[in-house]
Amino acid sequence: MAETQEFFDLRKTSVRRSMALLAAGALIGLLIAGYGLFTAKGTRSRGVPPEAIALVNQRQILRSDFMTQAQTQYTVPFAQTSTEQRQKVLQDMINEELMMQRGLEIDLPSYDPDVRNALVAGVELEVTADVLAQQPTTEELRAYYEAHKDKYSSEGVMQLRDLVVKPETAHPAVARATAIAAIAALRKGQPLATVIQKFGLVDSGRFMDAGHVDTGDIFQFAVRAKTDDATYNATLPLKDGEISEPLEQSDGVHLIVMIKHRFPVAQNFEEATNRVWTDLKNEAQLKVNAANITYLKSRADIIVAPELAQ
Amino acid sequence: MNESARPAQRPAAARRSRLRLYALVSVVLALLIGSWWLHQRRTAATLLRTEPNEILRRPELIRAAVSIGRPQYQRHCAGCHGSALQGDSKRGVPDLAKNVWLYGNDPVDVERTILYGIRSGHPKARNLTDMPALVRMGQITPDDAHDAVEYLQNLAGQPHDEAAALRGRAIYYNKGNCYDCHANDARGVTDYGTPALTGPVYVYGGDRDTMYQSILNGRHGICPPWVNQLSAVQIRALAIYLVTAPRAAAVARN
Repeated sequence: MAETQEFFDLRKTSVRRSMALLAAGALIGLLIAGYGLFTAKGTRSRGVPPEAIALVNQRQILRSDFMTQAQTQYTVPFAQTSTEQRQKVLQDMINEELMMQRGLEIDLPSYDPDVRNALVAGVELEVTADVLAQQPTTEELRAYYEAHKDKYSSEGVMQLRDLVVKPETAHPAVARATAIAAIAALRKGQPLATVIQKFGLVDSGRFMDAGHVDTGDIFQFAVRAKTDDATYNATLPLKDGEISEPLEQSDGVHLIVMIKHRFPVAQNFEEATNRVWTDLKNEAQLKVNAANITYLKSRADIIVAPELAQ
Repeated sequence: MNESARPAQRPAAARRSRLRLYALVSVVLALLIGSWWLHQRRTAATLLRTEPNEILRRPELIRAAVSIGRPQYQRHCAGCHGSALQGDSKRGVPDLAKNVWLYGNDPVDVERTILYGIRSGHPKARNLTDMPALVRMGQITPDDAHDAVEYLQNLAGQPHDEAAALRGRAIYYNKGNCYDCHANDARGVTDYGTPALTGPVYVYGGDRDTMYQSILNGRHGICPPWVNQLSAVQIRALAIYLVTAPRAAAVARN
């Protein structure tokens, strides 16, 4: 009786109470540790977890993937698939899992470029999953659109001739005067072929298609890719039938004849929202991927050969 | 002697009673929490192990799924799909309350969409098709597009220009190649996630201007993947909630 009183009297020291609390604490700790040990991801389990349809060497085949696979394979709703069909799908998935595990076992990624590429793409996707799941607000989308307005338009198309008065056929000043005269003639409405012949103009050769001068439609981005900034900028404001001012360049004096110009059509925010969304996401993904590479490098042991070591 | 011992014994007895009470309450609380936790685990396991279509036949499982799925919907999906599943036609978010399911409303299909998303970048995402910008690509002219819109107005039973609708029909089946994705009867194909064009409910709206904009600029609707954000049971429960909510609302309306 006295011992019981002592056990419950917190003002007095009780060896029995201390031992009992110690034992209770140890028991709770063991239970938690045991639960963690036998249920943690990757631990060996005799039962199949509820979200899985099978375990192959302790790796889960998810029910959701199994159901999708059965539907896809037999093109009927999952509820209408037979037991035999399900068995077949499951066996196929188990076989696939075994092959995949074998691939890892023999270290396939270390020497197969396709597997390596797939792995790289998979890891990138893994690290960007959060970015993909986040929904930008309309305000964020609008801010991005305003900051990158130039990107949101349809592509312009041009039909043009880039003609040049070569300096080897005339003194530079004469070449410039010839170009000015040719421009004046074209602006007065003289036919292009006549002007080319009359003033000895030659094609610059910048816009070729299968060995011939391209007189058909050329996308604006292609014009940009094939010319220097000065020429490209000179083409931008030209409307149908307009001629540029002379452009003095290292290979002679150029003049641009714009035969036809379909200008890019700017998209407003509502029209471009989906593209803005995609671009914003892509940019965020690039940032996350770059950060991931930085992190991986920071913890990696990379030794570079002396000739390329920085 | 007895008289003098009484005052000292009373507080000790009271303390003991209090301690016993605390211990009892703690044990009861621990048992309650433990049984609640076990119940949750059992419910989660049942929801995952039961076929989705079987869940739809068992009211107690529907209730359990809805109790898990609805908060997840409000937390993760309502931002786009609206708190009452009404969607947002301006952004091309389908009206789930009116059962607009681009990829089918079988719970297995819905679950897959939630898991991996639509054009989300996930390798398992639904990503077979896109609505191409037919006019901007030069496949059809703006006039062709207007004619096709008249044909779609005709299909929806709306007032339309008969001659333009006839021309639009030819665009639908030939130059525009629309039937290839939207089906011969224009009722859409869930395999591709192409919407019905016959109304009365549309993803982006059924007015002439919106339809023309779709043909002009194309569409590129997206849904993010939730496989790494939500647990398996949350996704299953969400799918069941999404499939049953419109039915429950319809029953309540009637």
